[in-house]
Amino acid sequence: MTLIQSFLDTLSALASESGFAGFFADGGWKNIIMILISFVFMYLAVARGFEPLLLLPISFGMLLTNLPFAEMYHPEFWDYLTVTERDGTVNDHFIDYSRILEHGGLLDILYLGVKLQVYPPLIFLGIGAMTDFGPLIASPRSFLLGAAAQGGIFFTFVGAAILGMSAADCASIAIIGGADGPTSIFVSSKLLTANSSNSVGTIALAAYTYMALVPIIQPPIMKALTTKKERSVVMGQLRPVSRLEKLIFPVLVTLIIALMIPSAAPLVGMLMFGNLLKESGCCDRLVKTAQNELMNIITIFLGVTVGATTQADKVISLDFGKVMILGVVAFGLGTACGILLGKLMYVISGKKINPLIGSAGVSAVPMAARISQKVGQEEVPTNYLLMHAMGPNVAGVIGSAVAAGVLLAIVK
Amino acid sequence: MIDMQKMLAQIMASTIPPDKTDLDSGTVASVVITGISVVFIGLIILILLVTLYGKIFEAINARAAAAKEAEEKAAKAKAEKAAEGEAIVKSEPESVTAAGDGIEDGIEEEVVAVIMAAISAMSAETGKKLVLKSVRTAKPQRPVWASAGVNENTRPF
Repeated sequence: MTLIQSFLDTLSALASESGFAGFFADGGWKNIIMILISFVFMYLAVARGFEPLLLLPISFGMLLTNLPFAEMYHPEFWDYLTVTERDGTVNDHFIDYSRILEHGGLLDILYLGVKLQVYPPLIFLGIGAMTDFGPLIASPRSFLLGAAAQGGIFFTFVGAAILGMSAADCASIAIIGGADGPTSIFVSSKLLTANSSNSVGTIALAAYTYMALVPIIQPPIMKALTTKKERSVVMGQLRPVSRLEKLIFPVLVTLIIALMIPSAAPLVGMLMFGNLLKESGCCDRLVKTAQNELMNIITIFLGVTVGATTQADKVISLDFGKVMILGVVAFGLGTACGILLGKLMYVISGKKINPLIGSAGVSAVPMAARISQKVGQEEVPTNYLLMHAMGPNVAGVIGSAVAAGVLLAIVK
Repeated sequence: MIDMQKMLAQIMASTIPPDKTDLDSGTVASVVITGISVVFIGLIILILLVTLYGKIFEAINARAAAAKEAEEKAAKAKAEKAAEGEAIVKSEPESVTAAGDGIEDGIEEEVVAVIMAAISAMSAETGKKLVLKSVRTAKPQRPVWASAGVNENTRPF
């Protein structure tokens, strides 16, 4: 009898310690819903090909973090504490890193790279090593289109403020309009606090979902804002750019932007460092690592940990709905601003510039440029706008890094 | 330029703390205006500098191209003169094909002519007289079956 009793006791103890019991605990139903949501994102990534390289790690991170008792990620470890520093100043943004290192789970440790802003600049290093700034150097006026498309960021800031969000939430949601995942994560991980209604994860989810939806969001706006005649403008060939010009460019951009807006230095600096490595032609091994291995490793870490920050109470809330709505508004406004400036340049240049290249000013490299090409070819099948659109496209990357720097300089 | 961030802070009167909610319209408007203008100013400065150095390089490249063209012209004129005086290119292939004995059986005359033409082109440039003495097929380093074996073994690498 005692044998059976102890057998049953052990069984029930095991059952109560298992993750299944966690689902029935207080608030456990939220975990179930989150796991189901993670399945939706996995489906979107695998079956629909929505930015799978990021959405798959993010969705799996969501799954891992919502397993009860697995203790892989502890949101409470990342709450800000108020402490008095050694020099007597009161710091209300103190994170107890020693506690995280001692008691943190795997995802806590990996999340350090997000919180300490290590991963986004490293991703930018890889992007820089893959980017050819030639079209931008050949046609510097593309910078204007890259700047205009950042209008979406700042106008969305207004929208978020009207909805009564905190400054950190406004800035984090607005930066989605830059159509740049690493930049969004960079800004939101720096600004969002425990009091914010959003998390880095929800911002990243919105940003990457919309980046995947660029081919659906952009064309209707592009067509609505331009006439058939404007879309039919055929642009000539770009001038060839010498190697020395390509070598000077990254150094020049780093100096100007980092001196102007120091808070943009980590992103722009690493982007340009990667590009200099590529253009130098003498660091092949480093370039290959930055483009492939390093980039892939960081993408895995970034995706899985960002996914881990999406807890039930942050996603199953009205605020996440607001993020999704404002995010698509930000994207749309960015596209519209780029197109409108493109139209202005079309008039000023004497109808030589196709306004369609303006929409490529939102970063989303190279998808946005491909959309410009595709929409242009619907009017004139022999029109190759791709290289012309790559100019505003890569300018958009620099532009959104600058916009991120500005937001970080204002909100702190 | 270096003080842009300070300037920004001054324009904003003060920065906004992240947790502040219910931002008033003045603050929001100033975020929008400063944000857009700083992005534009930054990128316009880049436009000016990139255009400037683009112009400089275009000028340098144009000059280099002009110099190269002149050089090519001079070289061409020289080559023509040389051809007229000594007729190297014409005489050499004849002498080689006439010699005949240095050429292995089974090698077509066209092949010899192509090799000779390449050599003549080189010698016309340097002014040196080069003569083709023999043409032979190279012996394969490994028998065919051995190379097939090596290929098979090293394919994964």
